[in-house]
Amino acid sequence: MHRLRVYPKRLFWRVYWAALAVSLILDGVWLYSHAVHYHFKFQYFPEFFALFGFIGCMLLILIAKGMGLFIVKEEDYYEKRSKQGNRVK
Amino acid sequence: MMAWVHPGIVIALGGLLIPFIPWRIVKQAYFLMLPLAGLALLVLTSSGMFGAIPAFPESFRPFSLPFLDYTLHPVRIHNLSLLFAYVYVVAAFCMNIYALGVKNDWEHTAAMIYVGSALGAVFAGDLLTLFFCLEIMSWAPFFLLLFRGTKKAMGAAIRYVLWHHFSGVCILAGILMHIHATGSLEFGLMPWGWGSQYLGYHLMILGFVINAATTPFHSWLSDSYSEATPSGSIYMTAYTTKTAIFCLILTFPGVPLLMWMGAIQAVFALFLAVLENDGRRLCSYHIISQIGYMVAGVGMGTHMGLNGAASHALCHIIYNALLYMGAGCALVVAGTAKFDRLGGLYKYMPISFWLYMVGGFSISGFPLFNGFVSKTMTIEAAELIHNRPIYLLLEGATVGTFLHTGLKLPWNIWLQGRTEPPPEVRFRLKDSAVNTPVHMLAAMGILAFLCIFLGVYPKILYDMLPYPVEFVPFTLTRVFSITQMFIFTFLGFWVLRKLVKGYPGYVLDTDWLVRIPGDYLLRFCTGPLQRMGACLDRIGERAADRIVHTLRNPETEAALNPSLAGAGILAALILFVFFIARHL
Repeated sequence: MHRLRVYPKRLFWRVYWAALAVSLILDGVWLYSHAVHYHFKFQYFPEFFALFGFIGCMLLILIAKGMGLFIVKEEDYYEKRSKQGNRVK
Repeated sequence: MMAWVHPGIVIALGGLLIPFIPWRIVKQAYFLMLPLAGLALLVLTSSGMFGAIPAFPESFRPFSLPFLDYTLHPVRIHNLSLLFAYVYVVAAFCMNIYALGVKNDWEHTAAMIYVGSALGAVFAGDLLTLFFCLEIMSWAPFFLLLFRGTKKAMGAAIRYVLWHHFSGVCILAGILMHIHATGSLEFGLMPWGWGSQYLGYHLMILGFVINAATTPFHSWLSDSYSEATPSGSIYMTAYTTKTAIFCLILTFPGVPLLMWMGAIQAVFALFLAVLENDGRRLCSYHIISQIGYMVAGVGMGTHMGLNGAASHALCHIIYNALLYMGAGCALVVAGTAKFDRLGGLYKYMPISFWLYMVGGFSISGFPLFNGFVSKTMTIEAAELIHNRPIYLLLEGATVGTFLHTGLKLPWNIWLQGRTEPPPEVRFRLKDSAVNTPVHMLAAMGILAFLCIFLGVYPKILYDMLPYPVEFVPFTLTRVFSITQMFIFTFLGFWVLRKLVKGYPGYVLDTDWLVRIPGDYLLRFCTGPLQRMGACLDRIGERAADRIVHTLRNPETEAALNPSLAGAGILAALILFVFFIARHL
């Protein structure tokens, strides 16, 4: 019998915040010391990838939710439609 | 030297015997042996046992067949076909382990014919053999869908076959026009341009693009894969689309249209994935998105782009099977893969959660997982051709991929911030941390190992690629930028996590544009058109009745009045129109 455990919540958050802080600092350090080499100019913008990840993620969710107002229908959308069609007949 | 044995024929014909083996344990062992036999044949082939395999554009052709005025080369072996064949049989082995619990033997047979025909397609040396194998490939999954037994699956199966027969007809028309123009059956590089003389190639590329589920022709994938049986859907994730990518690499590398279609596809599918409530449909949208990278890589046409497409196809088969298996576990154990009915499963299925997460990190392209070593190659190819929009689209798709497969799906199925699943799921679970059948965990374990192994030691993958690889994945720039991006993607997800919760609903896709007009056409046919037909029938019958009545009766013959004559002429006209319409 295996022991039932809940997921390691506290450990996760500690590691996460530490990684976030370290990544913010390291980005500055590496840009300053020219340790990183990118292809495009905009990639050299400070914390570019942090902003890209954060803003990209938010935009994706918000735009999709906006689309959802028009394209999300009830679960049996097509089945209901075809039933209605049969009734017309 | 020994004669070459086709692993595809071994697997497909061997699959036909499965239902006739009497003992279950022998049957299962035999089922697992089939892909291993294929693997052994491939190892012997690449070791040069049947003849030396030359470097990529050159190939080894063990035999040829005369056919009408042409010569068929049913088999052509080169680095690229071996790469695809290896991953096909290795994936088939893991999928067979996952499917061991399936009671319906014919499902195994359909799956093995599917795998065998996919191998036939990647080894095809001429266009007719390729078409023949693609046609078998379009029928085998039909049964994997049908065996699910639900009405929805039946509808999806029919739509699947319709889409693939449409693409098949396009490919066949393209092939015939190509043969007519050049007299060659060679399955190789095709010319490309925009004039009317390229119509055959446009049709051919349309066929491949539909098979590769490129936007806007992607809807068949999310529609059908999510309706197949839990194990059947795993087979479907790997073969059809990747074979289409293989065909595109060989026939249309460097077509700029493909680059744009691929990059748009990579992002477009992600918007629909945000709204998705079904775990398997969400993973389907991620297949579409990941194929976008491959199509874009093919469209770039540089050696780096083509290598990126081929290596990403290989890695994708492995991690995507793993993701589908993870979502399939939830379906098998909890009875549903819908997010709004799940959550809190971690306590009862932690091993499947962690194995799934390996797949989630791989598809996102985390360093030390296999997606990183292949996806970054395509992104780097976009950087090297200095195409900013393509780079931003592909990099943006990476963010979305991590958001969905790395965060949204595991959060909604296993966590959702609660420690117990909803009561209607809880009563199906044992009080144990291992609710998933062991053979499913074993299959996921092997795939997870491969994900990490190829991610840590990519040399083995790079050595198999068609062109020499001058790409070092683990540079500080790349590892750091992608890690930082993911850390902040998580932050965005956490802020908006309530918005990505599952809500019951059906997300309309581009197939709406086909299904609704089709629906109206059906309604028109069953309603007004039938009524009009019936009405015409009645008029014709009445007119004929009156004519017959008049001619048979000598008394009325004398009293033939103008109105009767009019009816007779009308009837004759109607009959004439029918006659003409029949013979047009």
